[in-house]
Amino acid sequence: MFERAYRQRLEADLARWEADGVITPTDLAGIRSTLPPLSPGVNIPVVVSIVGGLLIAAAFLAFVAAHWAELARLSRFAILAAGIVVANGFAASFARAGRTVLADLCATVGSIIFGAGIALVGQMYNLGGDFAGGMLLWASGALAAAALTDSRGALAVALTAGVIWSTMRIYDAHDLPHLPFVAFWLIAGGLALTWKSRVAAHLVALASIPWWITTALQLDVGGVSFVLADGAALLLGGGLALAAAPWQRARDAGAILEAYGAFSLAIVAALVVATSHDFVEFPAGVASHPVWASACGVAGAILAFGAAAMTRRVGTALAGVAIGLVLIGAAVWTPPAQSQAGEPWLVYAIELCAMLCLVASGILDGARPRIIAGWIGIAGVIASITWAVQGSLLRRSAFLAVAGAVAVALAAVLNRLLPRNDK
Amino acid sequence: MTETSAAALAERWRRIPKAVPFGAAALIQLTLLALMVGDRIQILRDGTEVTLQTQLLDPRDFLRGDYVTLDYDISQLPAGPLKDRPAGARDPIVFVKLAPNRDGIYQAISVHTEAVAVKSPEVLIRGRVASGANCGPKGDLFCDKLLIRYDLEGYFVPEGEGKKLEQLRNERKLMVVAAVAPTGRAAIKRLLVDGKPVYDEPWF
Repeated sequence: MFERAYRQRLEADLARWEADGVITPTDLAGIRSTLPPLSPGVNIPVVVSIVGGLLIAAAFLAFVAAHWAELARLSRFAILAAGIVVANGFAASFARAGRTVLADLCATVGSIIFGAGIALVGQMYNLGGDFAGGMLLWASGALAAAALTDSRGALAVALTAGVIWSTMRIYDAHDLPHLPFVAFWLIAGGLALTWKSRVAAHLVALASIPWWITTALQLDVGGVSFVLADGAALLLGGGLALAAAPWQRARDAGAILEAYGAFSLAIVAALVVATSHDFVEFPAGVASHPVWASACGVAGAILAFGAAAMTRRVGTALAGVAIGLVLIGAAVWTPPAQSQAGEPWLVYAIELCAMLCLVASGILDGARPRIIAGWIGIAGVIASITWAVQGSLLRRSAFLAVAGAVAVALAAVLNRLLPRNDK
Repeated sequence: MTETSAAALAERWRRIPKAVPFGAAALIQLTLLALMVGDRIQILRDGTEVTLQTQLLDPRDFLRGDYVTLDYDISQLPAGPLKDRPAGARDPIVFVKLAPNRDGIYQAISVHTEAVAVKSPEVLIRGRVASGANCGPKGDLFCDKLLIRYDLEGYFVPEGEGKKLEQLRNERKLMVVAAVAPTGRAAIKRLLVDGKPVYDEPWF
């Protein structure tokens, strides 16, 4: 989908460059010859055939559902088993014909039917008590199918089932993340790298966010914002480190991970400011900042600075500074470690600086997601400062005015110090 | 070097007929389902049979469509020596030693955090503490009473049968025969009403 749009832009650019005399017809032919053939995407006949297939599948499902109670257990199981075989058979047939989208769709349907099979066996043997175990089985089967068939849809099924499995298991672990999911997630990440697939990389990055949020919410800790900040730091730092790797596929995946990390960091910055007023009492002995979470946050900052050292990019180093500032703000001003004396002016300033660093890092590195995330973070932090219900609004308006004046002064100084781009 | 070997591997993968990976994917998924079925059949076939008395439950929780929730005399137990000991998890796994009374109905003898040796006719059943592992200042110690789940609490019944079972259960006429594997894992094998079998779990 994205490849097709890119090719259209490229063709338009090539035509313009040729017309302007920037490239010769020979160069044009050379560039075109280096491009791999486009895979047959989804055209109108394919869309119509997908709709037709879905209608037939829905009719079959409705027919089976109407007679489900009358069917013997073995017949029900046989129907679902046949569904898996038929779906994968169609997938193989489409793959042989080069219809990769349809093959992917059929493999996904096969994995969904596999999930239905697990539910049926659970019903047959009264296994309602171990829902998480069923989800793990579903995730494992779908992940195996994804690995074998290169199906992005099966990977999406596997990650969804895996996140649900882990969410249910996280509750059982005191003060610790559910580490088996990390191994599962790394395997999925390995597949995304092997496939060189942007879609798969997005799915893998996306799966890490609900997992980390659930981990933070389920832990017996006071500082939920702190744990969330650590997760965002690791995602952004890990993405930057991967983007600095010498392999193109790692760089592509890293760019996607860092985009998710930047947006997560921006949201956490606003959250830290919004929750810095929550003077919550926690029972004695409750860990506010778990060591493993702190280690993840610090690792994220180290990875970002390591990537900056490797690539010698100031923008990446500034992203590391943004991570560090958000972590400091979260570490000091999340309950129950926060000071209860007065307004947390310093955390407001720190989080604003962090988001400014994120915007600047995006500009310097030419990373648009970081720029957008930074602006969203600035807006979020200002909104949190302004709309938090406690404290004096007048003082906050004074703070924002001072912060704005400092920013304008800084802009004036930078304008004098930095070389200008205009001719 | 790495890129070259990866490219060579990808080329080999491309040469494999398309039916092979898709067939393998279907085979893995069917094998996982078969293993799930086989596991339950093994418990039902080889497990020691224990008869358990069901208990009154809040009727609002009892019936969810064709799904019946059961509670047992062995569901709520005193923690005994486990009280105030670290639970290790929010829902820790425990092992309950059961022994039959004069009527042949199994009763709980003791609760353990590890599997312990039992002598026939005693049986060790594995359960998970649903409530009662959150006492102490940090909420990580066993309380004095434990609510334990054995994965025997759900039973799918034919449509319309739930209300009848609810009535029988309220009159304490409903009992469950569970098959317990040597590992302690259990499965519902039979439902008894007044001591007579009414539902027998088929293997398939």
